[in-house]
Amino acid sequence: MALTGRAGLLAALAAIVVLLAPEPGLVVLAAALVLVVLVAADLLLAGAVRGLRFQRDGERRVRLGQSAAIGLVVDNPGPRRIRGVLRDAWQPSAGAAARRMTLDVPARERRRLVTTLTPTRRGDREAVAVTVRSVGPLGLAARQRTFHVPWTVRVLPPFLSRRHLPARLARLRELDGRHPALVRGQGTEFDSLREYVVGDDVRSIDWRASARRSDVVVRTWRPERDRRVLIVLDTGRTSAGRVGEAPVPGSGPSGWPRLDWSMDAALLLAALAARAGDRVDFLAYDRAVRAQVSGASRTELLSSLVDAMAPIEAELVEADAGGMVAAVLSRARRRCLVVLLTDLNATAMEEGLLPVLPSLSSRHMVVVASVADPRVAGMAAGRGTAESVYDAAAAERLRGERREITAVLRRHGVEVVDALPEDVAPALADAYLALKATGRL
Amino acid sequence: MTATTMGRARQAAQVTLLVVLVLVTAVLPLLLTGEQSGGRTLDPADTSLNGSGALARLLEAHGVEVVRVETPGAAVAAAGPQTLLLVTEASFLNRDAARRIAEAPGDRLVAGAVPHLDVLAPGVRRQGPVRARSRAPQCALREAVRAGDAYTGGTSFTGPPGATGCYPADDGHALVRYTADGHTVTVLGDASFMTNLRLAEDGNAALALNLAGARPKLVWLAEPDDPDEAGDPGAGADGQARSLGDLIPGGVRWAVLQLIVAVTLAALWRGRRLGPVVIERLPVVVRAAETVEGRGRLYRSRRARDRAALALRAAATDRLAPRLGLPRTATAEEVAVAAAVRTGHDPEPVLALLCGPPPGDDTALVTLAAHLDTLERQVRDS
Repeated sequence: MALTGRAGLLAALAAIVVLLAPEPGLVVLAAALVLVVLVAADLLLAGAVRGLRFQRDGERRVRLGQSAAIGLVVDNPGPRRIRGVLRDAWQPSAGAAARRMTLDVPARERRRLVTTLTPTRRGDREAVAVTVRSVGPLGLAARQRTFHVPWTVRVLPPFLSRRHLPARLARLRELDGRHPALVRGQGTEFDSLREYVVGDDVRSIDWRASARRSDVVVRTWRPERDRRVLIVLDTGRTSAGRVGEAPVPGSGPSGWPRLDWSMDAALLLAALAARAGDRVDFLAYDRAVRAQVSGASRTELLSSLVDAMAPIEAELVEADAGGMVAAVLSRARRRCLVVLLTDLNATAMEEGLLPVLPSLSSRHMVVVASVADPRVAGMAAGRGTAESVYDAAAAERLRGERREITAVLRRHGVEVVDALPEDVAPALADAYLALKATGRL
Repeated sequence: MTATTMGRARQAAQVTLLVVLVLVTAVLPLLLTGEQSGGRTLDPADTSLNGSGALARLLEAHGVEVVRVETPGAAVAAAGPQTLLLVTEASFLNRDAARRIAEAPGDRLVAGAVPHLDVLAPGVRRQGPVRARSRAPQCALREAVRAGDAYTGGTSFTGPPGATGCYPADDGHALVRYTADGHTVTVLGDASFMTNLRLAEDGNAALALNLAGARPKLVWLAEPDDPDEAGDPGAGADGQARSLGDLIPGGVRWAVLQLIVAVTLAALWRGRRLGPVVIERLPVVVRAAETVEGRGRLYRSRRARDRAALALRAAATDRLAPRLGLPRTATAEEVAVAAAVRTGHDPEPVLALLCGPPPGDDTALVTLAAHLDTLERQVRDS
């Protein structure tokens, strides 16, 4: 049960009557009685909410930054019309648009209401409750009841770096079999035999095949295919730090977590590698496996990747580098490209990854990709006052540590990609293409 | 869309209504009280138009002792067989105070719309309201006849048997005098003839002097400074407190009760939540640059110029080395010499810049940073 503003207004108006009446005490009593009777009558005549039935429809998945419309069908089986308000309550970061909606369902009919969700962060957003307030014909009192109508919308990473994909695919085609090369180079494998045409390099003629057929045949080559790429996402404490400017409105002023930028880069790399014919696996790890994708077909790869990434949050624990390397080694038996998305944090690296890196880099090609903080770059450029120079010194010290750790990693034969948030995805894709072009996969 | 515009229009109307209501409640009391500005009515110490300072001076000039009291208790204490007690409409009286005044010795002059007249002047009954204006005495009362026309009216009275009535108005008289139990009680329907404003008109002054100066001592019950002290708990043994509650009409209390009911209902209306509070576990918000900012503040608070200079020089050396074709492992001295050769400077200042002693103060540190920038730019442009 709930009262409306009219009940209070009526009581306030009665106060005027009380002020002017000769027998004020009686009027107060009478007003209270009348009010109670009216409220009771209103409650009796209001449409019953107890028997309401609900049904949801709409989207189950939405990219971060886009909106999803979720329908809610309200079925009123009762004999009286239901007028009032309905609140479809979602978790706050689901960004549900209409906080309260007016409801008018005639007897034995159903109506569909639409809630628009504009989520502000990744993950699973749940519908918490549906509350219906059915107001009586006098508008004095209402019946109210809360229902649980479950629905979950998975908010996927936005994959903003997909705009870089066409350019990278064009570069890939240059390397790829669509322009079969006649010269065998590093990182190429035998593609096919075809008839000699005027202009082909005579050195590529396959004499044995030509002898078998009565025609001159040349060999063609293409970049290696069917390599394995294992993308490892560090979800430890260093990935929680926020950097840059959030590209999605509503994420707050302090930027986007490193984790989200890393996911963006991982998605671009996965899309590119899948097109290049490589097999992509995914692993999210801090002290345990948080998510993994393995053996996904090329067509399903991206959708299963974003699905696996969506609920991952940065854990506030120090990542267990030894466990991570063990997990990678157990999954990658053949030589493969291990892309480790983490932070180049000197202390964390020296204690965590560096001691166990040799066991990984000796068997696999390792790329470490890290998101640099544009704020640190801005601080390093600070000059003029003593304060900004001290800040610049602190920033330079951090950058020096990063340079040092980068040098150490390179000595271990590890490729390092260290780029600003917006550039890390294309930079990683370029590093992959460079490795592919030079056949180091 | 139309729903929201309608909602806005409604909201605007509500706001306007509220503003108007506030203005009315703020201005109305001002308008109502504006007429009574200045002075205490019928106060012997007040010289404004509403006061009666002039009459008091005149009485004193005629040898009458005027005792100004503010509380009924003091009035009773000052009264004696040879005194006249003046009660006006400005006197604060409740029923008990009126009873005590009625039992006080001496004569009484009751002027204006005084409450509890049945106690103060038993037997005198109000006939009805009449307009106050200049009237002729038309009676045998010596004081009135000698004064002549006077500004009287207000209320007309009928006295008990044996009473004298003057200044006839409607069916009764505006002045009634009678004697009972040795007291002479005079009742007047309007007291404004005693104010400074009206005293000079007609025979007002003479009437006032004749009535108020009848005894050698006049006890004047005036309007108290602070109405809360009117009950004079200190003066009377049975403190007759006249609290705010006595002044409020009975209906107001019930109306306040009804308003409390209304406010409670409004609170229930606003307090009823439409569904439960939704909770959500949010990820922690940590800016990645926080550690760097913290380190910068630490340098600043400790004035760690040596460490700051070291970091800045190391960064500059790291950036210069590849530009000068030196390996990453090159020492600062090698970089400084190579930079001096490239830019054509003397090696000494460049060496001092890249591997000199730490700066002595903050200004030197700022200058060092600027010089490092200049050197890098020169190497880049050369």
